[in-house]
Parts: sequence; structure tokens; C-alpha cells
Amino acid sequence: MSLDVPLQIHRQKEGVAPHRDLFRVSVADSATVLDAIEAAWAWHDGTIQFRHACHHASCGSCAVRVNGIERLPCVTAITDVWDGASDVVVEPLRNFPVAADLVVDVSTLFDRLEASEMSPLRPVEHALPVEIGERPRTDDGTMVAPAGIERFMRFESCIECGICISACPTAALGGKFYGPAGLAAVQRARAEATAATEVDAILGSVDGEHGVWRCHSAWECTERCPQGLDPAGAIMSLRRELTARRLRRLFRR
Amino acid sequence: MIETRERASRHSWTWFVQAFTGVMLLILLSLHMIAQHFIVEGGLREYADIVDYLRNPVILVLEGLFLVTVAIHALLGVRAVIFDFGLSERSERRVSLSLLWLGIATVAYGAWIIWLVAV
Amino acid sequence: MKTMETRTPERPPPPRRLASGLDPRRRGAGSWAFVLSRITGLGLVVYLYVHLGVLSLLARGPESWDSFIDVVRSKPFLALDVVVIAGWLVHALNGIRVTLANFSFGARVQKAMFSVAMVVAAVLLVIMSVLIFEGS
Repeated sequence: MSLDVPLQIHRQKEGVAPHRDLFRVSVADSATVLDAIEAAWAWHDGTIQFRHACHHASCGSCAVRVNGIERLPCVTAITDVWDGASDVVVEPLRNFPVAADLVVDVSTLFDRLEASEMSPLRPVEHALPVEIGERPRTDDGTMVAPAGIERFMRFESCIECGICISACPTAALGGKFYGPAGLAAVQRARAEATAATEVDAILGSVDGEHGVWRCHSAWECTERCPQGLDPAGAIMSLRRELTARRLRRLFRR
Repeated sequence: MIETRERASRHSWTWFVQAFTGVMLLILLSLHMIAQHFIVEGGLREYADIVDYLRNPVILVLEGLFLVTVAIHALLGVRAVIFDFGLSERSERRVSLSLLWLGIATVAYGAWIIWLVAV
Repeated sequence: MKTMETRTPERPPPPRRLASGLDPRRRGAGSWAFVLSRITGLGLVVYLYVHLGVLSLLARGPESWDSFIDVVRSKPFLALDVVVIAGWLVHALNGIRVTLANFSFGARVQKAMFSVAMVVAAVLLVIMSVLIFEGS
């Protein structure tokens, strides 16, 4: 069964004032919001610019706001956001400069994730403490995982979609707040760090005016994260650790 | 922040001061409000009542503490709102300094009033 | 830790549409909490300085002060006092939530804590208003 959905899409291009265009798209009733956007692009206006890649919530490219709320449109059913009558409004993420239409410049997000030096990938030769040929096996030939393998089996859930930053009211004020994505990445880097100097450097880097202390505990980042991560909790965890270190230093004197 | 390694060790203590003064104000402001609104006949104190009130040394200390605490919390709060918008390092320092002077002036003024009435 | 100087050139700053950033209407409880704390905080700072200014009447002696007190004991002014108290209660109770948030009990608990804080604020406000107007 197909649906005729009225879709308002934010339009913004060089030399054109930001506005919304209304498209009436025909999609299957099982369609996602991304399907609707693609239908608008394919059948109505080929100049609509939007990001999309994996279509299954693992690349984080397509993040937008639907009816004012941050979502991944590739896994959001159109029937979840459409009441059957009003327009479905699709806008780009907040708190990033708009490049064109629904595409935003997410360079600051990636710069901060990279600066945290939190590594989502581990080189194979550093991953396993034993040589491949020497991996122990049980009697029936099954390989036994080496000790400590859990440390290297932790997969990185953050898909770098930028939704947390869009949701953050502090980031919305346009200041220098480091942001939930970056701070959560720093917390993950800290969890991996072992050397004291490394830990000091990591924690010190977010102890400033615009690091963990600028968060105003709105918790919107955690609320909207499509991967169920808890950036707010990560920020609080960093704060607790910084506080504990400060108290210890105070009493050591 | 992460952009400049040299300042990586700069610690921000203002959040702690805000939280601490906030907790203090829960007590001090409640006491102030009870003392000013609910104890005296008619609710608010007339001049003579205020003189009696402030001549009590415990009250003097509490009201003085309240004055300092509220000035700190209020002005750090204003600073937080301003800093949220993102200023240059130099502007941030100027804002902090201005608010510090304003805080000192506020407490000095309040102390003067107390001295005028109680002494 | 990497520094960022060698990376990419000047970026455009993020859009600073104040209204959209601070508009909590379609957003979650957390945005409401943030905006309410800001508005009540700034309101209370304004009140603080008005209050301190008014106290200068004390410097002019008992007559000035007592005639002023007669004015502010009237019901309209007491009503204004209630508004200030409402602002204080919202600000203080949300402030308690923000401080407790450091122990990060999770998003659902945060929203619950905000609701509880506002309910407590409303209850206390009613009690205090009654006491204030009763005593007047």
C-alpha cells in the first residue's frame, strides 16, 4: 500500500535564502523517512542535497531533524513521524554550519573526535598477545581466545552522526563548548589509557572552562543518541574523576 | 582546551564554587527569607526592627555570609551565561575581571548599609 | 595528544540562531530545565540589584524606610514577592538536580528528577504564598 506524504524539506543554497519546499511524495507504507527524502529528490527535485550511505544506522551520515527532533531517517519509519495529515518537516542538524539543504559541515565533530585520540581501530599485530600460528586450541580444534581479548573486542558504538551535538542546548549558544561527542570520545580514550602521564594529559585537556565544566546537564545528548550511548554520563564520569584527583591533590599537601 | 597543549593543565574551579555557594544559599537564603518575611509581625521589618535584627552578632555574621555568597553565585552565574556564547580569551579575562570588581563593589556596598544601620 | 593547528583551515562558526537554540518547545525536559534555570537566574540577578538599590533607603533613615515598607506591604507588592520566590524555587530545585546529575543516574532519572523538582517548587510556592498573604 502506498502513502502520499507531504514532506517539507529545508532548502538553503548559495545565493538562495533559507526556506522550505513542500513535496508530496508517494512511498510504500513501510517506507522510512530517508525513502521519502529520496523520493522527493528522485521524482520532484534533483537539486535536493542530503547525505546517505549505509541505510542501516551504522555510518551516521544521514542524521537530520524530523519535526524538530534529531533522528536517523534511514531507520525511522514514515508512519512513526506522520500523523496522516500534517506535513513532515525535515531540517538539517542544529549547531553545525549548513553547507546546502540538509547537508551540514561536520568538520568540528571529526576534528574533536580525532583530537581525543580515542582509537576505534586496533592494528591486528597489536591486538593479539600471541602469534597467529601459536593460538591455543582445545582438543576438538577450536581456537581458545587469548587472555585479555575483551579489551580488543570492544567495538565502537559511536557512529559519529552529530545528533548529540545538535541536541545540546549549550552547543546551540554557539560558544566554545567542546560538545558531547568529543567529550565522550575523550572519556573512552581515558578508559583505554594506562600510563599515568597519558591519563594526566587526557584528563587535563578537558578540565578547562569549555570542556566538561561547560555542560549544563540537560541530558539531551543521551536522550537523542540513536546508538543508546550516554555522552552525558561520560561527561559526568570525567567530572567525577577530575574532582577526585583534585581532592586527592588537596589533601596530599 | 585540546587546541593548545600549553594550557592543557588549566583547571576550571568555577563549577565547584557555583555548586558550593548554591548549596550554601539553600540554607542562607531560606534563613534570610524566613527572618524577613515570616517572623516579624506584618511580614516585613521596619527600621527599628532592622536595627534590632542586625545588632544580633549571629545575625550579622549570617547576613554578611549571605551577602558574600549570593554575590559570588550571582556573578559567576552571569559569567557562565556570557561564556556560553563564546568570546575570545582576552574578552573572557576582561569579563571575569569586570565581574570580580562588580562583586567586590556589591559586597562593599552591602557592608556599608549594614554598618550604617547597625552601628 | 594531537593538536589541531596543522589540520584544516578556517571553518565557518556554527550558526548562532539564538531563538532556535533556546527554544525548548519541541525539545526534551533537559532543554526546558536549561532555559528555566537561565531565565530565573538572570531574573534573580536583576532582583538582587533592585533589592540592594532599595536598601539605600535605609541610609536615609527610619522615615524613608518605614514609608517604603508601608508601600511594599500592600497586596500587589506581595504578589511580586511571590513571583520572585517562584523564580528562586525553580532555580534552586533545578540547581539541586544539576548538582546531583554528577552522579549520572541516567536520562530517564534526569527527566524524573526535573519533574519532581518542579512539583516540589510548585508545592513550596503555594505554601509560601499562603503564609505571605496570611501574614499581611
